[in-house]
Amino acid sequence: MGSRASTLLREEEIEEIKKETGFSHSQITRLYSRFTSLDKGENGTLSREDFQRIPELAINPLGDRIINAFFPEGEDQVNFRGFMRTLAHFRPIEDSEKNKNTSTSEPLNSRTNKLLFAFRLYDLDRDDKISRDELLQVLRMMVGVNISDEQLGSIADRTIQEADTNGDSSISFNEFIKVLEKVDVEQKMSIRFLH
Amino acid sequence: IHSLATYISPMHSLSARNSTAHRKAFPVLSFNYEYVRKPFEISLWILLALLMKLGFHVIPRVSHVVPESCLLIFVGLLVGGVIKAIRQTAPVLDTDLFFLYLLPPIILDAGYFLPIRPFTENLGTILVFAVVGTLWNAFFVGGAMYGVCQLEGGQLRGVDLLSCLLFGSIVSAVDPVAVLAVFEEIHINELLYILVFGESLLNDAVTVVLYHLFEEFSHAGVVTVADALLGGLCFFVVSCGGILVGAIYGLLGAFTSRFTSHTRVIEPLFVFLYSYMAYLSAEVFHLSGIMSLIACGVVMRPYVEANISHKSYTTVKYFLKMWSSVSETLIFIFLGVSTVAGPHAWNWTFVIVTVVLCLVSRVLGVVGLTFVINKFRIVKLTKKDQFIVAYGGLRGAIAFSLGFLLTGNKMKDLFLTAIITLIFFTVFVQGMTIRPLVELLEVKKKRECDGSINEEIHTQFLDHLLVGIEDICGHYGHHHWKDKLSRFNKAYVKKWLIAGDRSTEPQLLSFYNKMEMKQAMMMVESGGAPSRRKTVISKSREMEVRKMLHSNMQKNRQRLRSYSRHDLMMDPFEDDVSEVRFRKQRVEMERRMSHYLTVPAKRPEPPPSVRRVTEITSVDGRKFKVSAELIFYCCVWSVTLWLF
Repeated sequence: MGSRASTLLREEEIEEIKKETGFSHSQITRLYSRFTSLDKGENGTLSREDFQRIPELAINPLGDRIINAFFPEGEDQVNFRGFMRTLAHFRPIEDSEKNKNTSTSEPLNSRTNKLLFAFRLYDLDRDDKISRDELLQVLRMMVGVNISDEQLGSIADRTIQEADTNGDSSISFNEFIKVLEKVDVEQKMSIRFLH
Repeated sequence: IHSLATYISPMHSLSARNSTAHRKAFPVLSFNYEYVRKPFEISLWILLALLMKLGFHVIPRVSHVVPESCLLIFVGLLVGGVIKAIRQTAPVLDTDLFFLYLLPPIILDAGYFLPIRPFTENLGTILVFAVVGTLWNAFFVGGAMYGVCQLEGGQLRGVDLLSCLLFGSIVSAVDPVAVLAVFEEIHINELLYILVFGESLLNDAVTVVLYHLFEEFSHAGVVTVADALLGGLCFFVVSCGGILVGAIYGLLGAFTSRFTSHTRVIEPLFVFLYSYMAYLSAEVFHLSGIMSLIACGVVMRPYVEANISHKSYTTVKYFLKMWSSVSETLIFIFLGVSTVAGPHAWNWTFVIVTVVLCLVSRVLGVVGLTFVINKFRIVKLTKKDQFIVAYGGLRGAIAFSLGFLLTGNKMKDLFLTAIITLIFFTVFVQGMTIRPLVELLEVKKKRECDGSINEEIHTQFLDHLLVGIEDICGHYGHHHWKDKLSRFNKAYVKKWLIAGDRSTEPQLLSFYNKMEMKQAMMMVESGGAPSRRKTVISKSREMEVRKMLHSNMQKNRQRLRSYSRHDLMMDPFEDDVSEVRFRKQRVEMERRMSHYLTVPAKRPEPPPSVRRVTEITSVDGRKFKVSAELIFYCCVWSVTLWLF
């Protein structure tokens, strides 16, 4: 039990997280207790195995990719700050934030950043383009084994054809944004973290 | 139309006289109107109504300013005036006619094509508006009305509290027919549409319970707490019971559609009949028929659409639209006719106060409820949204029919007059002004394009993503339960209700197929190659595509022997890329069209001239088929037995 005390959240940390992510005090503490319940090794960080222990995530077609999104480039452990930083993308956009013309950096849960998060899940090799193969991979994960490769290929081709405006046979981030402009991303990519 | 005009046919006596007179030649031409009177008059009414509807659209300027419902009521007024002038008794909007024949098609049309995703996403909001909002309206209007009646004195003093509450419950409900008629023309954005329309559908349960409650009590005279509690319980029974009945019929309908592969012409009828039976069965037990109908349509739709052929799907769609259009037209015209015909008891105070109170209570209700709801919504409702929701609370024919149902109530004429005035006010004033207001306030309109495949894929992608994130947070929200339901659906329900291979077909593929089909049809209609193929296909890719098409064409040949156009073979040495591309598209299009017009699933079908049972290759498959058929017949028999 002694090691637990060192991982308790300090007030300054809470304030810092609040400023960075915009979560409220109670939300942060609640998510911290979730973090610690997932952290079986009790060392203040989560590894990939900790995430994979969540049963529903195992049957989620995008499970691995979502887990990877929490870990920064090349690392195998994520601390609470990193955890919150990723989750901050899914905070609902407040009305007060919507109309702000910020000259400072955009909050993590702005529409663009939400879409960037989703885009990065497609674009594994980080070349800022969703190529046909990356798209095929995602499609195959989502539809399972019941479609033949040709059909999947034609779906992927059609998708790229619809979105591609500059003719490079892949979807760039701007094209991605454009295609989803009619979808209510603010609502779709938000979780109501109960306060 | 039950109480139609009694025409005295002069010819009848003439022909009678002729037969008793001296023997004459065989009558080559005779006249017997009585024989066809009833269906003739019904058809004539419907025909005239539809000609009116046609006429409005020929005059473009009028139909832009005035919504169709107003014009139809106006025509009804004229017709009613004419009938009164020639001193016939006009057909009145009889309650049976309305609730049993005119209302169900409209509700079924709305329920079958209900956009499910926005509906479930906003279900909480819709329920709050429907239940709490209607209750608030009913009690506020009833209570305030009572107060006004007491204050006013004179002839209104006799209106007791229970009658006022009964009146309040009748006028409080937003009417789906009127809402549909007006909102359909202004093309407002999906969120507002589903909020107002969903509310108008779901408040039926509340209206039914309140109406019956107050009607019982107004005869009894006094209300106890136990009665009020029973009323509350009744509400749950009515709504949940209605939904349950609808869901059962929906599942039955889906199950039936599984076996209709050999009798495709009657497929649409199953959809209509099961839904209608759901409505009637719910009405038998005084459950909410509207909710039952909606539940039936919603439950049935995904499975039926996977099972029935494309032609049947089109038939269902167009018949529903047709019937609902006819019903709506007739309802509004009859409303006009009944206004002129019915007995009226005009009381300035009562009528004006009714209209004012309804408006005030609606605004207060919406504003107050939105304040509470916004605390729980991710996307808050803005002031503009609130205004449209409040302003779109139209009353319509349901209120009128409920008022008509009042029997033995001495205030009936008074109430009816007020109800009619309220309906006229909302439909004319609010209906006409809502379009300029929507323009003025720059409310978001409905997005015009159909779903693109990108949106479909990315939406599904985001769904999975959100479910994953919710699981990581340990938060069991909206996405979690939706995901659980769809898994359950895929694992168990689809196997039973969808025939053949389609049961395992992923949603993405069916969406893609539908899109391709649509594009193929558009290409046929425009008669040429589409304009957007701008990228040059590389040679190797072309070879790939040709190979794929060639193999598909082989399969095609086995399936449809009568179709000879697939003899169009592609010359692999053809060098002109555009010519090949055009041919490839044409062949691809033909393949798709022949595939999707008659066969919903990828299984081999016998040629259409020979009707024989498709042979099932695997033994297990046969056993399964046999037992499923057995269950189907058992169900049918048990239903028939129960009915008789």
